[in-house]
Amino acid sequence: MNGLSVRLSAALAAVLLFLGGCALIQPPAADDGRATLVRDGEALVWQDEYRFVPPPRPWQLIDLDEDDYSVGYMMLCDEGYPCQSTLAYAEEPFGYSLDFETRQEEFFRRFLWASRVNFAEPKLQPTEVFGKEGLIAVTEGIEPVLGHKVHAKVVFARRGERVVAFYFTQWRAADADYDLRDEQDFDRFVESFEFLRPSFFEQL
Amino acid sequence: MEGHQRNLYLYDRFNARVAGVSRDQVATLEHWAKDLGLEFPIFSNPIGHLGIWFGALQAGYPMFNRTTVIIDKWGVIRYMQPGNPNYREILTVLKQLHEEEGRR
Repeated sequence: MNGLSVRLSAALAAVLLFLGGCALIQPPAADDGRATLVRDGEALVWQDEYRFVPPPRPWQLIDLDEDDYSVGYMMLCDEGYPCQSTLAYAEEPFGYSLDFETRQEEFFRRFLWASRVNFAEPKLQPTEVFGKEGLIAVTEGIEPVLGHKVHAKVVFARRGERVVAFYFTQWRAADADYDLRDEQDFDRFVESFEFLRPSFFEQL
Repeated sequence: MEGHQRNLYLYDRFNARVAGVSRDQVATLEHWAKDLGLEFPIFSNPIGHLGIWFGALQAGYPMFNRTTVIIDKWGVIRYMQPGNPNYREILTVLKQLHEEEGRR
């Protein structure tokens, strides 16, 4: 036969082949994500999957069409440029490993990659999230060309066997001071977060 | 790519293997896979036979359109979807195939 023949080992159930290249332009999703957010007292329930207390205004919900974000908020300020904070829960944070220490290394290799940020070695602190082991990583990234900096705090946690993450970033000009009061909103967001049912992966 | 790497342990669980195909040269793919820390094979197919085969190569367009294909152990294509991979859909299909395998 001309061309390529695919021979499968009898031991395998399946071969998954993906042809890489450019993504096709995807049609916009039918809903904007907000339809899946339901208010439950002071909390919000997202897709019957998570329940959390949203950060107060002026934090704004952001719709991000990226797999790395499940739910995120941002806050702009006008003390120079850039002046912005974000907080998010990521069901599929960057990286692959199920081990937290390895995962945080993989995570920071890709996190804010498009922003060309050079991260300092993160300060790591073991913690407990959802009654299980967790890891907090705090670091600063420098964007040397534009003269921007970003403070980042990432909380790695476990959902079933997989690693999930919460992260907070605050962007400032290199010569400006951070205002880490916003980080307290992030901490409250993490503390309020709860899973309402086993994840897709736990049910596989 | 990252999603597939993240799910490798689940593919193993469902007795499946994953491979990528790209029109890039071997050296490019080798560097890229190393940089991303990928642990599955990526085939270099510059001429693009596989893209033609699976309908992922448009006439006059040099690159493959992203396409995910699942082939069962009997060589039958059981799933093919253009666009970004839907990992949950992929895992659901692999789980079904694994269960089928157990029944045959």
